[in-house]
Amino acid sequence: MKTDEPVSPDAASHAVPPTFTFGEPLLTCTELVIGYNDKAMLPPINMVIRRGQFVAVVGRNGSGKSTWFKTLLGMIDPVSGTIARGHPEMRSAYVPQTSGIDSLLPLRARELTAWGRLRNWSFLWPFARKADRDAVEVALETAGAKAIANRPYRELSEGQKQRTLLARLIATEADMVLLDEPTAAMDAVAERETMQRLCLLARQRGLGVVVVCHDLEVAAEHADVLLFVDRETSAFVVGDARTVFCHPAFRRQYGDEYCHRAPEGPHRGSDAR
Amino acid sequence: MLAEPSQWQQFIEGFELFRDPLLCALMAGGVLGFLSVYVVLRRMVFVSAAVAQSAGLGVALAFYMGIHLGFEVEPVIGATALALLATLLLMMDPTRLRLTRESLLGLAYALSGGAAVLVGDRIAQESHDIQGILFGTAVLVTPEQLRTVAIASILVMVIHLWWYRGITFASFDRIGALVQGLPVRLLDGVLMVSIGVMVGVCARALGALPVFAFSTLSAIAALMLDLRLPWTFFVATLAGIVSGVGGYMFAYFFDFPVGGSQTVVAAMLVGLAMGARALIQLARRAR
Repeated sequence: MKTDEPVSPDAASHAVPPTFTFGEPLLTCTELVIGYNDKAMLPPINMVIRRGQFVAVVGRNGSGKSTWFKTLLGMIDPVSGTIARGHPEMRSAYVPQTSGIDSLLPLRARELTAWGRLRNWSFLWPFARKADRDAVEVALETAGAKAIANRPYRELSEGQKQRTLLARLIATEADMVLLDEPTAAMDAVAERETMQRLCLLARQRGLGVVVVCHDLEVAAEHADVLLFVDRETSAFVVGDARTVFCHPAFRRQYGDEYCHRAPEGPHRGSDAR
Repeated sequence: MLAEPSQWQQFIEGFELFRDPLLCALMAGGVLGFLSVYVVLRRMVFVSAAVAQSAGLGVALAFYMGIHLGFEVEPVIGATALALLATLLLMMDPTRLRLTRESLLGLAYALSGGAAVLVGDRIAQESHDIQGILFGTAVLVTPEQLRTVAIASILVMVIHLWWYRGITFASFDRIGALVQGLPVRLLDGVLMVSIGVMVGVCARALGALPVFAFSTLSAIAALMLDLRLPWTFFVATLAGIVSGVGGYMFAYFFDFPVGGSQTVVAAMLVGLAMGARALIQLARRAR
């Protein structure tokens, strides 16, 4: 898949094609309780994330999104419940905000992408192999970041930074990827393009993609499943845009406007249980 | 009447005397220059100051134990032990104590600095050595000090060049490295212990002040040039070497204290790098 040209709406937009079916489960949360110091933040979470599925996580600041994210990444232990991986060799990748990479760091886009190949880093043979170098070039090409590969990351525009981070994501050959507000500093066009690229990645590479997103309309437009997290009302709502936007807890935080505008339609693939 | 030999002639004739301190300055400057890239990019400049200060306290305590308690401890052991202790303290998660990292740094720096002065006050006969440790006034290094610096330098450089990719990833994108399954805590520990050991042994041989300068200013000079990351490490290493050796030569020829000279040369390199950067930017604009 090459994504350096603008993504055509037909190819990537919004809805899952009628024939598309999601793949095997990548991650299964069963009665998962997240929190700190044994204190639960949210009610027990039950959901499955599958191959090819694009999940957008929405909610206000401090609602528990980051805690859930960190728990999925294994950085925080769950208070109780389990997170089961689809298979033992399953690979996850994490894409920080574009601002998450220190602007002092004199890194080129290619070097940053090459970090995506460090999964098999070993104390005994810690050097890059030819296969790693080749994979980096392919990832840069695929993400449309080849032309900026030798430019300092800190000098890139937000859209170019995001392409570099996507190249790194592709280089990891992950099965599931978690992105923390990937479009936070972007203008509307770059935001839409990035979401479309992520959609394509999910569909064509069969990745499970989980994105923390603050733009509710963009989230509703692109995601197969929306996930609303709210600590205040102890809500964890999974479903399509209508299910989530019309949930009382959501309406309490964001009002009724989104519910009225939410498209009618079938649930597109969540296995919320 | 016989002509006075020039300072160069004297330097060359007496080179055997200066060889060891020059070698020591070369190794310490180079390795600390390399590590300085981590120190500066991870915003740990004050860590280096606090660890160097603790090494000074370690030496003072070693002297104190020998003189007043009859318990002989090699000063280099004292320096390294206290430097490592400070490093471990600074690796702790300060939020557990509801503190910021800066608070811990301030505590380590002030406590070790104050304690070194107090202990130094009780060991008047070694006060010259204490001065040497804190400000780098020592002109000569003993063969043992040179050997210790050499062993530590070789070990640290081999480990850091071998694990370069892992340590840089774990240092500069911690979460990304954790998610990809890298042993981040271990790699972080390797880095911090390397800094602790190098600062400890080098502070004993050269003094805390030049050690602080090598482990911070070298990277600042290299970062000015806006090079790729591997080249930044290389230039910082070179800057450390030039500061160490050049500072020693400067002190010899102009009759200044060694540590202060090495520190000033390191700062001058930052100025030079700033000038070079300005020229490069001018040239780019002119194109």
